Amino acid sequence: MSEDKKQSDPIMQWVTFCLGDEKYGINVMQVQEVLRITEIAPVPGAPSYVLGIINLRGNVVTVIDTRNRFGLPSKEPDDAARVVIIETDKHIIGILVDSVAEVVEMRGSEIETAPNVGNEESSKYIQGVTSRDNKLLILVDLNKFLSEDEKAELDMF
Amino acid sequence: MNPAKTQQKIIQQELALDAYLSTLLDEIPEVILPEEKPRIQVKVFEKFPAPVEPKVIITQPIPESRPIASVTVDRPVKMHPLSVMPDWSQHEFQALFFKVEHLILATPLTELAKTIKIDRNPSKIPGQPSWFMGLLDEHDSRIGVLDTGQLIFGKLHGSQRDLEANPFKSILITQDKRWGLACDEILSIGRVKPEKVRWRTSRQKKPWLIGTVIEELTAIIDLQALVPHRKSST
Repeated sequence: MSEDKKQSDPIMQWVTFCLGDEKYGINVMQVQEVLRITEIAPVPGAPSYVLGIINLRGNVVTVIDTRNRFGLPSKEPDDAARVVIIETDKHIIGILVDSVAEVVEMRGSEIETAPNVGNEESSKYIQGVTSRDNKLLILVDLNKFLSEDEKAELDMF
Repeated sequence: MNPAKTQQKIIQQELALDAYLSTLLDEIPEVILPEEKPRIQVKVFEKFPAPVEPKVIITQPIPESRPIASVTVDRPVKMHPLSVMPDWSQHEFQALFFKVEHLILATPLTELAKTIKIDRNPSKIPGQPSWFMGLLDEHDSRIGVLDTGQLIFGKLHGSQRDLEANPFKSILITQDKRWGLACDEILSIGRVKPEKVRWRTSRQKKPWLIGTVIEELTAIIDLQALVPHRKSST
C-alpha cells in the first residue's frame, strides 16, 4: 500500500465485546481498562440505564447497563461479564458487557454506515458496521453513547 | 424645445410603460401553468378505478378552456404521490405468493431479487424500531431484514409474536438487495391479470396495499411503498 493511502485510510484498533448474540466494537484509544465485575452500588433515583457506581481506586465511576441502553433483555452477569472503563469527552464511565472478546485492527474504508430507519437520536451512537469472521461487527461511537445532559447527570452520582 | 414634440414624447413613454406593465402582468399565469399541469393529470388518473386504462386517460387532452383555478379547488388538499400506479400493475404480471401468519400476500416477481431460507438470525442494531429485525450478510449484499408481520398488521399486533418460539422461515429479498421481508412460507408463483384485481388508486392509508386479487382475495403488496427509505446507505 502506498504511503498516501496509509495516511488517508489509517488502521484503527477496536476492542470488541459481546452482548447476547451480537458483537460490538469500541475505539481502543477510549478504553482505559477492563475489570472483572465487582460490587456495583445502586444509586437511588438513577435512570434505568445506570446500574450503579463502583469505587475505582478512590474514584467513583458510574456503570452503565449496556444491555438496557441497547434495548436488549437484561441478563444476570456471569463470570465472563466485564466492566469496561472508558473515557468519553473527559467523562470516565464503566459499561457492563457480557464478555470482552479481542482487539481487532481495521481500516476506515472497511466500515460501512449502518442503516438508520428509525429515530436518528436513538441510534446516533452506532458508528457503522463491518464484517469480521463472517459475522457482523457493530461499531459504537462512545462520544455519542450518552447525550451531554446524560453525562452531566452522571457527574452528580 | 417644441412643446408638441415634448408632449408626443411623454405619451410615447407612457404607452411604453403601460405595455411593459401589462406584459409583466400577463406573464404571471404562464409561470404557474407548467407547475399545475402534472397535478391535473394525477387528478384525472385517480378518477378511474381500474389502473389498466390510464394510458387512454392520460392521452385525453386537458381542455384548454378549463380554468386552472377550478381544478385546483376540486382536487384533494393532500394528494398522495402513490396515487400513480407502478408500471407492473398496467399489464399481466407474475407474482410470488407468500404467507405471513394467516394472511396470503402477493408481490410482483420483478420487485424481487431472490428468496432465501432463514438459517441464522439477523444482527440486531441497537436503537432501531422493533420492525427492523437487523442486518444479514448475504453473499455480496448487506440486507436489512424487516418484520413483515409488524409492517402489515401494525406494531401492536405484530410485536405480540414471539419470534424466538415462532420464527419466520424465509426472506424475500428486494430487487435492489437492500431489504428482506421475513415471511412464514413461500407458496407459489402465479400470473395476475390486472382486470382480475381490485386496485386501490387512492392510497393515503396503507400505501403498500395496492390491490386485491378478486377471486383469491389475496392482497397485492407494493414493496417499494412498504420498505423504508434508508436515511443513510450502506
